[in-house]
Amino acid sequence: MGEAEKTFIGGLHEELAEDKIIDESQLEPDFAEQIRKYGGKDVMTCLQCGNCTGVCPISLKIDYKTRNIIKCCQFGLKKYTLGTRWVCATCYRCYEHCPADLNPAEVMIALRHIAVREGIIPPFIKAAATNLVKYGQSVKPDAEIDKIRKELGLGKVGAEHPEYNKVIREINVLVHATKYDKLVGIQEEVKA
Amino acid sequence: MSSYVYFFGCVIPNRYPGIEYAVRWVTGKEGFNLDVKDQPEFSCCPVPGIFYSTDKDTWLLLAARNLVLAQDERRQVLTVCNGCLASLLKATEFLQEPKNMGKTNRILAQIGKKYTGIPQKSTEGKRKIFEPVKVRHYVEMMVKDVGLDAIKAKAKHPLKNIKVAVHYGCHYLRPTEHFTFDDPNDPVMIDQIVEACGATSVDYEDKLDCCGAGGGVRSHVVELANSLTQDKCANIEAAGADCIVTGCPFCLLQFDNAQKSFAKEGIPVMHVSQLQALSMGLDPISLGFDTHHVSAHSFLRKIRGL
Repeated sequence: MGEAEKTFIGGLHEELAEDKIIDESQLEPDFAEQIRKYGGKDVMTCLQCGNCTGVCPISLKIDYKTRNIIKCCQFGLKKYTLGTRWVCATCYRCYEHCPADLNPAEVMIALRHIAVREGIIPPFIKAAATNLVKYGQSVKPDAEIDKIRKELGLGKVGAEHPEYNKVIREINVLVHATKYDKLVGIQEEVKA
Repeated sequence: MSSYVYFFGCVIPNRYPGIEYAVRWVTGKEGFNLDVKDQPEFSCCPVPGIFYSTDKDTWLLLAARNLVLAQDERRQVLTVCNGCLASLLKATEFLQEPKNMGKTNRILAQIGKKYTGIPQKSTEGKRKIFEPVKVRHYVEMMVKDVGLDAIKAKAKHPLKNIKVAVHYGCHYLRPTEHFTFDDPNDPVMIDQIVEACGATSVDYEDKLDCCGAGGGVRSHVVELANSLTQDKCANIEAAGADCIVTGCPFCLLQFDNAQKSFAKEGIPVMHVSQLQALSMGLDPISLGFDTHHVSAHSFLRKIRGL
């Protein structure tokens, strides 16, 4: 696995090895509040039952334990939880099985919100956002596929039409209005 | 009968145009002749794994922009992708909250748009009543609005002897606070369509498991996504299926691409609309199987009875 993957996946296992001492200076007391701000529910209601980890398809494959992440959120161990939370497939199984109705998937999404605001932005976010402001689609148009579209008698995709410039302009205005361009670092691409 | 507007999203037009052809053909004059229009100004839904994950305000704005276009047409949005369904359906619910709606409309005003929902004919006095824009999934629309009997009647070339492994995809089923059209623990709709087309839907272990691609996992760590797909494919192979049928082009993309990394030949994957079109007698050449990585050759031979 490459260096980038290590940065973004690395489990909590090494970071929270048993002999490691965590003092108060590492805790962020209002971390639960920050999670709430970005749409997560109150992590303090977590019972630590572990159902979320049990049903998580990703936890079978790598060192990614939903329950541990929620525990870290309760403590306020912000720096351990931010870099690593980009592997949730948002399948919402944990949500269905959570007896505390916490919706751990939404907590992961809130953690991503916080991470992005701390400057931890995986490259695929930038790539997709760039495609959106350039073509109006998150997937880049492909010349080969265009040929096949023509053979099938399907029209050109939106971005190939001159009238679609209006749509791209509208998207640029919206992305600029929320300062999303600045947030993920695609200011050069946005014309507003 | 309801009227719809096509919402193909990003993956179908730019990666699997055959699905777009199949959907247009099945819903068009030669198929069920539904009242569906195009809306050329639609953009990306936007994809939940990127925008809903990083900034909910931007996500809601971009989704609302699409919803306004459908609202002005007074039509239901017909999505063909689980991701588009999840994103737009969630957005209509977010917009029910007055705070969100106000905030969104204040920015949408910059591009001359306003989301209100679709005005209903009201009988009481002059007060206008607005209903949120309805967002539908192709599969659900087929089963509920067209009906299984009609699908069966149109399947002039039933796909006998074909064993199909159905994959629903997470965002067709969950979270259940948004999705109530099919049973999240025992979904049936795609299986019903497959059976109505004359094929047999085989049961396999962990049928409702994730394909591994969602939430940005595929774009982020493709090996992790592929290892989940490998587990699924092993179960599907054990059940002896001839093909995988799904209602989501992103799951399809994952199955199709991931199999390159671990399977020699692989199991062909197709969208439920492509299977329907085959059963209704459309020539496979029009279904764009050449854009799929796993060859559908042996599968198509079996359909022809060779």
